[in-house]
Amino acid sequence: MEPNDIARQLAPKLGAGLVAVEPLPGTAGRIRFRPEAALELFRAVRDELNFGHLSTVGAIDWVDHREVFYVVWSDDAKQYLFLSTDVPADKPHVESASSIWPSANWHEREAWEMVGVTFDHHPDLRHLLMPDGYAFHPLLRSFKLHEPEELEVKTRRV
Amino acid sequence: MWINMGPQHPMTHGLWNLRVKIDGEMILDVDPEMGYLHRGIEKISEDRHYNEVITLMDRCCYVAGFAWEHLYILSAEEALGVHPPERAEYLRVLCEEFQRIGSHLMWYAAFVQDLGLMSPFLYGMRDRDLVLDLFQSYTGARMTYEYMRVGGVRNDLPPGFSDQARKVLDWLDARFPEYDQLCLGSTIFRRRCDDLGVLKARDCVAHGVTGPMLRSAGMKRDLRKDRPYSAYDRLEFDVAVAEAADVTARYLVRMEEMRQSVRILRQVVDWLDHHPGPVLADHLPRWLGAPYAPIGNEGYLLKRNYPKGVGLSAIEEPHGEALAYVVNDGGEHPYRVKFRSPVFANISASRQYLVGYHVADIPPIMGSVDVCVGEVDR
Amino acid sequence: MSGATLYSVSYALSSALLDGLGSILPGPARAVVTNPNVLVGLAVLIFAVILLAASMLNTILLIWWERKLLGRFMDRRGAMHVGFAGLLQNFADGLKLFRKNTFQPTEADALGFYGGPLAYMVTSMILFGVLPISSGWNSGVLPLTLLLALAIFSFAPLFIFVSAWSSNNKYSLMGGMRSAAQMIAYEVPILLAVVAVVIVSGSFDLTTIVYEQQNYWFWGPLVVALIVFVAGMLAEMERIPFDLPEAEAELVEGWNTEYGGMLFAFFMLADYLRALVGSILVVLLFLGGWTLPTWVPSALTSFPLAGIFWFMIKTYTVFGLFVWVRASLPRVRTDQLLRVGWNRMIPLSLLSIFLAAVLVTVKCLPVFGCLPSMGV
Repeated sequence: MEPNDIARQLAPKLGAGLVAVEPLPGTAGRIRFRPEAALELFRAVRDELNFGHLSTVGAIDWVDHREVFYVVWSDDAKQYLFLSTDVPADKPHVESASSIWPSANWHEREAWEMVGVTFDHHPDLRHLLMPDGYAFHPLLRSFKLHEPEELEVKTRRV
Repeated sequence: MWINMGPQHPMTHGLWNLRVKIDGEMILDVDPEMGYLHRGIEKISEDRHYNEVITLMDRCCYVAGFAWEHLYILSAEEALGVHPPERAEYLRVLCEEFQRIGSHLMWYAAFVQDLGLMSPFLYGMRDRDLVLDLFQSYTGARMTYEYMRVGGVRNDLPPGFSDQARKVLDWLDARFPEYDQLCLGSTIFRRRCDDLGVLKARDCVAHGVTGPMLRSAGMKRDLRKDRPYSAYDRLEFDVAVAEAADVTARYLVRMEEMRQSVRILRQVVDWLDHHPGPVLADHLPRWLGAPYAPIGNEGYLLKRNYPKGVGLSAIEEPHGEALAYVVNDGGEHPYRVKFRSPVFANISASRQYLVGYHVADIPPIMGSVDVCVGEVDR
Repeated sequence: MSGATLYSVSYALSSALLDGLGSILPGPARAVVTNPNVLVGLAVLIFAVILLAASMLNTILLIWWERKLLGRFMDRRGAMHVGFAGLLQNFADGLKLFRKNTFQPTEADALGFYGGPLAYMVTSMILFGVLPISSGWNSGVLPLTLLLALAIFSFAPLFIFVSAWSSNNKYSLMGGMRSAAQMIAYEVPILLAVVAVVIVSGSFDLTTIVYEQQNYWFWGPLVVALIVFVAGMLAEMERIPFDLPEAEAELVEGWNTEYGGMLFAFFMLADYLRALVGSILVVLLFLGGWTLPTWVPSALTSFPLAGIFWFMIKTYTVFGLFVWVRASLPRVRTDQLLRVGWNRMIPLSLLSIFLAAVLVTVKCLPVFGCLPSMGV
């Protein structure tokens, strides 16, 4: 599957939601999309392009904005596809993919607590690796490794 | 009644907490709590040279260090535009396949121990030691190797390695029937494991479950075949699959994978015998080979003209599909490293394959998942 | 010890001791030590101390035996360093446990928490005292030793459950419940299997049962009962494959999760004591006790303490079989265990009673005496 094929298939459905489809080595391509079009894109990628397996969800802090990326795999094409969207740094949020791929659940929890991107309509957006009540997002560039942070951890009674 | 199985509990094989809601002996709901082993490897990597991250990779999964080194190296090389020599690629396959055997033997030992089988536990550990001895002979370490480098591997094999390796492979080939006899030959084992922890292929795909668990449900997805990396496209092997999707099927798949690994390794050892050559690429950036602190104020740590790039790699780790995404923004450190751990996804689906079974079934089921908490929490 | 019984030995010891004391003590004290009640009391005390020492030594030896055997099954050597071939390792371990602090979980019920292990230990020790080990080593003239032994044996679930419940831990409670369910389920087939032995031997006295096996050991005619009895004993001893009450994979350590130090040692010792008693019962009921087949040269059976020697050989061999089972079988699940217990074991034991009754009625038992290969 080539980036051009993907663009041709997705463009009529998504319109302005689809920013670009670029080549990315080792994958079928990198789809850049607007966060508003997330759910439509996910559905199209899963149902029409047949990428049934969501491998991972991650986020990158580019300081002026944040990037959320999804890596999906198709058992038919035997290829990865890379989806990425830019969200503003002041209010980073994007629709949750867990209604399309249930496996997104934990990956999104991790991305939320590490990079601080909120996933709307996520079924269970709790802390996963960090303690409950942890106030920081460690994978932000503003979180410096060498400076001791004041941690205030609220513990939960089970 | 909710009970906490973990973080200190014999079932966990690591450090995590499985909260289980039970009614008598039946499981009504589960809620895994992770993070007890979180070391922030992704964050630390952003503060390290490309070669220094390798040290962290060994600690990522402590039973499959080589697989994670390999995973990271592949994406780092792609991000930096470096190509390893062919011999290094074969050496990496050698490492990864021996690591697969070592990891599966560790799984075997822990899994049968969960079922209460005591002797095979020792047998598995005994045979894994042979593999570790081989690792020690050419890396100097038994678990944390730091052997691979961006652009190749650290050193070549010592003389006499291939004879030793063949001996180990022969020994292992002779042991597999013994293992099968102790497990499959036992009626109690079959009664315990058949139709247990069933997760059909559909649910596996939906919940991101990969590796032996997926293949035990009849899906023939193996990244070594589907998306060959290193030297896998030049090697002959079959993908192990089973149909039943239960604990026994996962046992069968892992056993067959070990046999296939032995088969791959025989080819790799033969190839290595006949193709001497360099194991590290020439013309590497100077700072890649020198992972320690800069000398002086301006040393070689200054920004240099290096092409930006990203690297995405995926390998078939012993536990399943592992994926790494390395972003290189031209600096001497990776800008962002993201790892996808197979066990992370496999545990996240635990509600699907645990609810409805007995409390006594939790250890064998979780044993068949092969949990390695190091790579889940990273 | 062939002529004298254990009690006569301790009686002689006691009277010698009191005689010596009487000759050196002044008048009023002499009157006390020459009182026959004191004599008997001291004899009983000495008897108990000998039993205690013997049971503890045997238990510790049994643990050593299991460790060495398991080691060999697992392709390793077992304990090696303390004493010859690690013989003293268990004493060292015991000392360590003795020195350890015992602690009580919050909100644990002190009476049950401390009383449970104690009662468990004590009942197991009484058990050892009841059983005859050779013609000389027995508790005396109780006519119903078999019933008494089995009755004391079945105390255990109560004490386990008490100590599990009172330690205020969910794992302990689950382990205790499993233990109670399992022991009760397997108590029944054991008793029924024993009935077969009683039918054939015509006695509830273990000594008589052993002497009834002069011509043929009972395992030949009563092989069904033996199978049921051994399987039931495995469950009663809570050994793999039936060790679910302390299945360490899911229940941490089952009903003794919260116990440490000496209290844990009590449980451990009592467990092995019960394992020892189980093996002894198998030997007594099915393998001819301390007697050897008549064709064995008399030189092998006439040396001092020959009865105890052969008895111990048999017991440790039987226990070795239990260890072998432990080394090679996985653990079953609770529901499977109970289903096997109620649905398979009880019909089998009833069958064994029926077979025994048939054997006795048609008077074909002496046939087994003519088949040397069958155990004579």
